[in-house]
Amino acid sequence: MVVQQRERELRRGPPRRPDWSLRNYMALFMAVLFIVAILAAFAVRSMAEQDAVQAAVADANFAAQTAATEIARDLVLLQQTSAQLAANPQAAAILSSPGSCGLTFSGGDFSNGHLDIITPDGSVKCSSKPLPVGPVYGAAEWLPTAVHTPVTAAPVLDPVTGQISAVVASPIGAGLGTVAAIVTLAPLGANLAGSLGGPRHLEFMVTTRDGRTALTRSLAPERWVGTALGGTAFARSVSQVERPDVDGTVRLYGRFMVASTSWIVFAGADKATALSAADQLSNRDLAVILAGVGVMLVVTFVVYRRIAEPVRRLSLVIRGRSAGGAVNAVGTTGAAEVTNLAWDFDRLMATVKNELADRLTKERQAVDSERNYRLLFEGHPQPMWLYDVSTLRFLKVNDAAVERYGYSRDEFLTMTIKDIRPRQDVPKFLELIAGTQPYFDKTGPWRHLMKDGSTAQVLVTSHATTFDDHDARFVLAEDLTESQQLELELHQARARAEANAELSKAKDEMVSMVSHEMRTPLASIVGFAELLVTRKVTPEQRSEYLGVMLQEGRRLTALISDFLDLRRIEGGHLTMRYAPADIKALIKRGVALIADPTGTPIEIRVPDDMPLVRIDGDSIFRVVANLLSNAHKYSPNGGAIVIGAGVVADMVEVYVEDKGLGIPADALPNVFRRFFRVDNPDRNGIKGTGLGLAICKNIVEAHGGTISVRSDGLGKGSYFSFTVPLARDIAQTGDVLVVEDDSGFAHLLQAELTGLGVSSIWAADAETAERLMIKKKARAVVLDLLLPGLQGEAFLERLRVQHGAGIPVVVVTLKDLGPAESLVLHKAGVTAILRKGPGMAETAANMIATSLTAELVAS
Amino acid sequence: MRTRTPPGLQVMRTVVIADDESSMRLLVHATIESDDYLVVEAADGAEAWALVQTHKPALVLLDVQMPGRSGLEVLRSIKADPSLAATKVILLTAKAQESDIESGLIAGADFYLTKPFSPLDLLTRVEEALQL
Repeated sequence: MVVQQRERELRRGPPRRPDWSLRNYMALFMAVLFIVAILAAFAVRSMAEQDAVQAAVADANFAAQTAATEIARDLVLLQQTSAQLAANPQAAAILSSPGSCGLTFSGGDFSNGHLDIITPDGSVKCSSKPLPVGPVYGAAEWLPTAVHTPVTAAPVLDPVTGQISAVVASPIGAGLGTVAAIVTLAPLGANLAGSLGGPRHLEFMVTTRDGRTALTRSLAPERWVGTALGGTAFARSVSQVERPDVDGTVRLYGRFMVASTSWIVFAGADKATALSAADQLSNRDLAVILAGVGVMLVVTFVVYRRIAEPVRRLSLVIRGRSAGGAVNAVGTTGAAEVTNLAWDFDRLMATVKNELADRLTKERQAVDSERNYRLLFEGHPQPMWLYDVSTLRFLKVNDAAVERYGYSRDEFLTMTIKDIRPRQDVPKFLELIAGTQPYFDKTGPWRHLMKDGSTAQVLVTSHATTFDDHDARFVLAEDLTESQQLELELHQARARAEANAELSKAKDEMVSMVSHEMRTPLASIVGFAELLVTRKVTPEQRSEYLGVMLQEGRRLTALISDFLDLRRIEGGHLTMRYAPADIKALIKRGVALIADPTGTPIEIRVPDDMPLVRIDGDSIFRVVANLLSNAHKYSPNGGAIVIGAGVVADMVEVYVEDKGLGIPADALPNVFRRFFRVDNPDRNGIKGTGLGLAICKNIVEAHGGTISVRSDGLGKGSYFSFTVPLARDIAQTGDVLVVEDDSGFAHLLQAELTGLGVSSIWAADAETAERLMIKKKARAVVLDLLLPGLQGEAFLERLRVQHGAGIPVVVVTLKDLGPAESLVLHKAGVTAILRKGPGMAETAANMIATSLTAELVAS
Repeated sequence: MRTRTPPGLQVMRTVVIADDESSMRLLVHATIESDDYLVVEAADGAEAWALVQTHKPALVLLDVQMPGRSGLEVLRSIKADPSLAATKVILLTAKAQESDIESGLIAGADFYLTKPFSPLDLLTRVEEALQL
């Protein structure tokens, strides 16, 4: 079982578990690698940019500081120069002399400016450059201050050059005049850029401290020197390192104050340039990362080629989808482990192939052998089959069976072995196979049914086997030849004869007994009749003889009717007419019939509240009488006889117990058999037909009851008991109560009443009728007077006492009634008295129906 | 034991009737009733044997099927008793089988009547037996 399941799983292919192939794992690995590389590239780039910005800012700061230092040094130099000149007595002399100045300046190159000796009214007395004479600086703001204290100011408009310049002036004497160095600012920015800007292309800009005015700028100085910066984006982003310059280009600025002035030097690096440099740097890093990824790709691919792909091909080989051995499939592409695996697999396959070949050979031999056996089975000239012992279905049939029985093979396989037997043989057959069958069995002959309906006598030989996991039986059905059949029939006849020997012996005894039993009364009848005919007898003798003849004639009649009854009952021809009955009354009548007035009285043990039973009264009375009669007969020395009844389960059990001869244990099982009589000398004088108990058994069983006997042995008495059903549905009694002991007439009456639409219930005796009236009051009564037990008149009297005069009663009887008796009945309120005879049932029924209608109308 | 013959005639010969059926005893008794002999009745084999021993009867009418000792047994006892050598026996039986008749005759019965029989026939046989 487990092996089969495993094989099925393997045939289905690899299980669909959520496992990934190596290829998938590789793909996942690659994807992760790419994501990591991209993230790394982003990180590298952003870090490079940050670094570049920081570096640029540091550079700018340094450049700004250097530029500020340089400017300060230049200013100090200018101050020293102007101060030296102012301190020179020649300067004062020049101021006081009226003519022009003959002074030659050799203190430095003032290509970007000029050195002037200026009077307090602003006239230039002497200049390093040829200047117009007159009060050139008369309007200059710085002049009044400069004639008293040193001044450094910018921006100022140089009236000489007309350019935005810076002034460094030192006073001459006390209010005599001043020496002013005036330097054009525009070239300053370009100079700074030239000396300090370097390869970074720094922009330099010098502004006043409040940043309101650009003193110089390295880029387009001619356009920006002296202009107001207020309102530009540059001025608005005061506190930031990164800000757009006055042109709008974003730069990274460093700044520094120029010592002892109100100037600020800005050095700005172009951000885009800085970033592009950073980009270049980061691109290099990215290239390294890409190279790494590439290497990983190659490694992965190699691993895949050397492991995953060979494994896949190995798998294909194993699944048989690729020709050639596993080693060939894996070839030289596989890793050593895979190649080894392939080798191992090839070796395993070789082993398996060898074993398979071995097994195939064996299987072929088995198949050959099976074919040979099948030929033996199929080709056998006699019908053979296998059937399942539990379902009895045919499992396999041979050709001979198909040919002989006429059913096709397919038809056979839908049939059971019951189907090939005549219906009447089936019970016997089932009984046979229900018992434990021997391993090997030769039974027969059997009648087998052919498809065309004919039957054949066959001798069946079978043995137990298994077929396709079924517990089966192998059957050989051999047609009987004529001589075999004759022999078998002879054998069977002998067996039958032997089997029937006992029965036939019993029948012989029966014949003997019947002969004896009938001859004895016949002898009396015939004998006395002859005496009466041939002799003169006294009247007393005549009466005596006739009495004997009558008695013997009755005896003969009883014997004959016993025989006939038994045959009728056994043949199922006796009609039982079931009606509710009071079993106690019935028992009392039985006792009254049997009891010997001189002998021991029979004791009756029946409770008064016994429920009614549903019986055929005449038949059960016969049983009771028979049992009582037996008890009496077989108690030759007297002895107590007890008859009793009680409810047992849902039946009423009646028993008869005596202290008489008893029955030996070995005879007990036979006492209910026909013609069986216990054989012992003590009972030789006891007459019996040997039919009584057989009749009793038949009657009780017809009622659905059972009869049984027990005895402690010879001389220990006997105990007979039988059961009859309770009358359950008497609540649904009819309108009319029919009290009539003649079941035939009662039946007729009931039929007539039913025909008139009147329901009725029948009581075979007055005692039962009384019980029924107590259970449910009938609306009318049909009453017979001659009843067993309580007589009709007595019943009527009690009826009137208990149920009043309102119930119509119709008397139907055979009894000859005198006028006085009729009068009594009429006084008791009888509607009509009818004499039983043909047509009287109908008349009585009509009268009852009429009185019921009248009663309805009256009410 | 009942007797229908007046007492005091003890010299008279005796006939014993043995049958378990009272009607049969009555019939036989009525048939052979005579002043020439005394008739006594027995209802079974044992009683019959007792009467036979008491009365040493000239004739015994034996029913074959009787309770207790059967008619054949009584017959054999009679034939085995030398003092009863003169006693004649007529068997009466309802059994009509030849084997019964045969065994009866072998046992020494003088005559054999099967039921039903004619009373006149019986009387003839009785008179023959008593050689009246």
